[in-house]
Amino acid sequence: MNASDLLVGAGAAALVAGTLLPLLRLPSVAALSLQGLGIGLVGAVGAAVLFGAAPLGAGFRDGLEPALGIDGLSGFFLATIALVALAALLYARDYLAGGAREGALVALGGLFLISLCGVVTARDPTLFLASWELMTLVPAAAILVRRSEAPVRHAVFVYLAVTHLGGAGVWICVLALAHYGALSDPGSLASQGAGVEALVMVAALIGFGTKAGLMPLHSWLPRAHPVAPSHVSALMSGVMIKVALYGLVRVLFEWAAPAPLWVGLAVLGVGLLSALGGVLYALVQHDLKRLLAFHSIENVGIVALGLGASILFASQGEDAWAAIAFAAALLHVLNHAVFKALLFLAAGSFERAIGSLDLDRIGGLLRRMPWTGGAFLVGSMAIAGVPPLNGFASEWLTLQALVHVALGPALGLGLAGAIATAGLAATAALALFCFVKAVGLVLLGPPRRPEVATAVEAPPGMRSAAVLLAGCCVALGAVPGLLVPSLMGLAPQPGEIATEPSLVVPGTGSLPSPWLLLGIAVLTAALWRLRGARRAAPVPAWTCGQRVEPGLAWTSAGFTKPLRLVLEGVLRPRREVETVREGGVVRSVAYRGEVPHLFDTALYAPAQRRALAAARVARRIQSGSVRAYAAYLLGLLLLVLVLVRVGVIG
Amino acid sequence: MTAVAALVQVLGGLALAPLLPGAIQSLKARLQGRRGPSPLQPYRELRRLWGKSLADPQPTTIVYRLAPCLVAAATALALLLLPIGGLAPDWSLGNDALVVVGLLALARFALAASSWDTGSGFALMGSSRDLTLAAFAEALLLLAIVLAALPAASTDLVAMTGAANGSAPWGEPAHWCAGAAFALVVLVETGRQPIDNPDTHLELTMIHEGPLLEYAGRDLALLEWSAAARHWIVLVLAAELFLPHWGGFGAQLACLAAGVAALCVALAVTETAQAKMRILRAPGLLMGGCLLALVGLATWLVGGSL
Repeated sequence: MNASDLLVGAGAAALVAGTLLPLLRLPSVAALSLQGLGIGLVGAVGAAVLFGAAPLGAGFRDGLEPALGIDGLSGFFLATIALVALAALLYARDYLAGGAREGALVALGGLFLISLCGVVTARDPTLFLASWELMTLVPAAAILVRRSEAPVRHAVFVYLAVTHLGGAGVWICVLALAHYGALSDPGSLASQGAGVEALVMVAALIGFGTKAGLMPLHSWLPRAHPVAPSHVSALMSGVMIKVALYGLVRVLFEWAAPAPLWVGLAVLGVGLLSALGGVLYALVQHDLKRLLAFHSIENVGIVALGLGASILFASQGEDAWAAIAFAAALLHVLNHAVFKALLFLAAGSFERAIGSLDLDRIGGLLRRMPWTGGAFLVGSMAIAGVPPLNGFASEWLTLQALVHVALGPALGLGLAGAIATAGLAATAALALFCFVKAVGLVLLGPPRRPEVATAVEAPPGMRSAAVLLAGCCVALGAVPGLLVPSLMGLAPQPGEIATEPSLVVPGTGSLPSPWLLLGIAVLTAALWRLRGARRAAPVPAWTCGQRVEPGLAWTSAGFTKPLRLVLEGVLRPRREVETVREGGVVRSVAYRGEVPHLFDTALYAPAQRRALAAARVARRIQSGSVRAYAAYLLGLLLLVLVLVRVGVIG
Repeated sequence: MTAVAALVQVLGGLALAPLLPGAIQSLKARLQGRRGPSPLQPYRELRRLWGKSLADPQPTTIVYRLAPCLVAAATALALLLLPIGGLAPDWSLGNDALVVVGLLALARFALAASSWDTGSGFALMGSSRDLTLAAFAEALLLLAIVLAALPAASTDLVAMTGAANGSAPWGEPAHWCAGAAFALVVLVETGRQPIDNPDTHLELTMIHEGPLLEYAGRDLALLEWSAAARHWIVLVLAAELFLPHWGGFGAQLACLAAGVAALCVALAVTETAQAKMRILRAPGLLMGGCLLALVGLATWLVGGSL
């Protein structure tokens, strides 16, 4: 037993102990610290394996006896989980303190982490599927422990229903792979013919895609993420949907590799739909947490674009670019985990401070909460994909991969790559639009509700968790090149770029991120000095001679109106204006507008109606009378006998 | 020669950039039968603004005050990525086309955030329109970059310029489509008619001018310079990637100067001949550009496989 085994064992023990501690009614600080210690140790070993230490534990096996192990890919996901979890646990210390059901939430948080680690370290189908189910159920419990109003219960029901319907795909996929021995011997699926391969691929896309929140299977995500306690939202959005992507990566790039061309195109298409659809619906949200949830769909879409590009490159024999696209997707997994956790944690602090996350009624929080607000600003710039932060690095690498798909030489693939490139560019621009809006409505401008004037900065734990993650956004943006070569090493294809802070990729003009960061910082500071702030005169906002009146303040809907008008055909917004006139004088004007979620109204609602209608038909034969059931059994028996006699079965 | 390129990059970007909007305005006035301002008018404006005191509208935060510096810094860095006459000195910032796009996006973020900080309706109206158009313009810009990257198979601007050297690219339909697509990007990024009207005095129709309304003094000077520098960036990119240029550095430098001058004339003529289009129609125009670019790509890919 070597040192890493010991460390992982100690980490796992600490994590389990930290989960059990609240049951003994001990203070939750001790439990959270133990959990943090445990996940920190496990994540550190994961990072060590990612950066070249020997893999631990067992390899994958098809049998039913449980086994655990850590290889490079598991190590990367463990490190990502640990990074987000450490911030979330630090945040939870103050967020949960003294609240209702504190102990239960602490224990469930620990169990959630165990299940997440379980999925990425499981080396056999039973443990994998058990952890997978636990990972789905625990957040539902964590939501219900805190809140049990009817809308919340409904959201949890939709979450469980959709993820379990879709989750059947995971079971089919993993059990089929185990059946054909593809878990232990990747490549053995190839000998089973195209039908089995297609079944596994489609099951994987539906199963893992549902849990990852890929459109059109995302319906649960914008419902469940906003109602969870903020540190659980951060884990769900930051890590849980990434663990679903881990499953997809294992299937597409290891167990069922090499994935055929059509899977690459399907992943690319679904990714593009999720990226564009996610950001468009995020733009029309009025609740900060719902907005963030839709952005998770967008970012999972961006990861899928990278994975799809990697499959396309591999099918064309361009191994180096296949590895780069793969690394781009994984880098975005990590980056999105960091900034999305940051944004959810900060949103929780805002909600705690002012009691609401209605975007149109916040305003001016940066002055009252400089630390949390500043961290939220950094996270927003990161997710908007502006240099020199981490979101730009991974979006740049993904865009480069798509541009090189577009460069050909095959006609169909080239056009697909070009459309995906344009789509990702539009996504990035729209994400910037959305987060300028979020930053403006939450942090900037005059306060829009009385609570803002008395809001106080979050307690130290909550504040430092957000600041820590903001620091990670800057650091990961500065030196992505130290990470990318290791991530390329996880790809099935060989590919190498130099390990240096900048991203120097052949076929591009390179992304010298540390120098960009330095350049922007130095130039901005120099201009700031030149500007001479001391001579600034405080004046009221001029606004071309008008006064800035609270009633005329711009809203979220107002800011996105040009886009809504341009995309009227796609978004189908509804608006009602009621004008009350008395004697030719307008007494009052009432405005109501909404953008219906077309996936709900046009896809899920009809499906639900059909399902209920089918259930009503089926209910007619369910009389409840024992005699009728006996007759059904007899009829079935006769039918089977006839079929056997005719030779259809048996 | 690289030193000369570096000199043009820095001095041209810093000092010559304001000449571009000045020359366009002056030429446009002549075309419209007015005497118009001198081409040097932007310099006088900058000098005047530099001497004036600043204003801090209340209640604003550091975001508002830092925005002009950040916008100018991001734009200035983007200047250093551009090749001049096919050469680019090594500032260790690379020469990637997508990084230029990212830096311009950073400037857009900072300016739009500043307009939320004052809460001024006109500023927000301008930003909201700018960001709406940006979604379409950025898709178009990326497609134009893809097309321009085809011969070199790289998004390195130096390699792209080198591959566009000589007469070979002009036999490719893709090159013509890319040029047309990029022309639309030029109109959006420089805020020219028919997309935006730089001369407007109506706050209700402003796009790029709107977010600048509250600024004064050196802040405004930095933002005005950044707008001029954005002219420089897109016009130099257009000339380096899509206009004819031949031979060594000297000849290419001459071609660049001629190209930028020709583009200024073209912009002045377009502004004179073309009325501003309805803002909601502009995305349709840009989508048309995207389709054109895809057609161009298809011709290239078909040509490669035959």
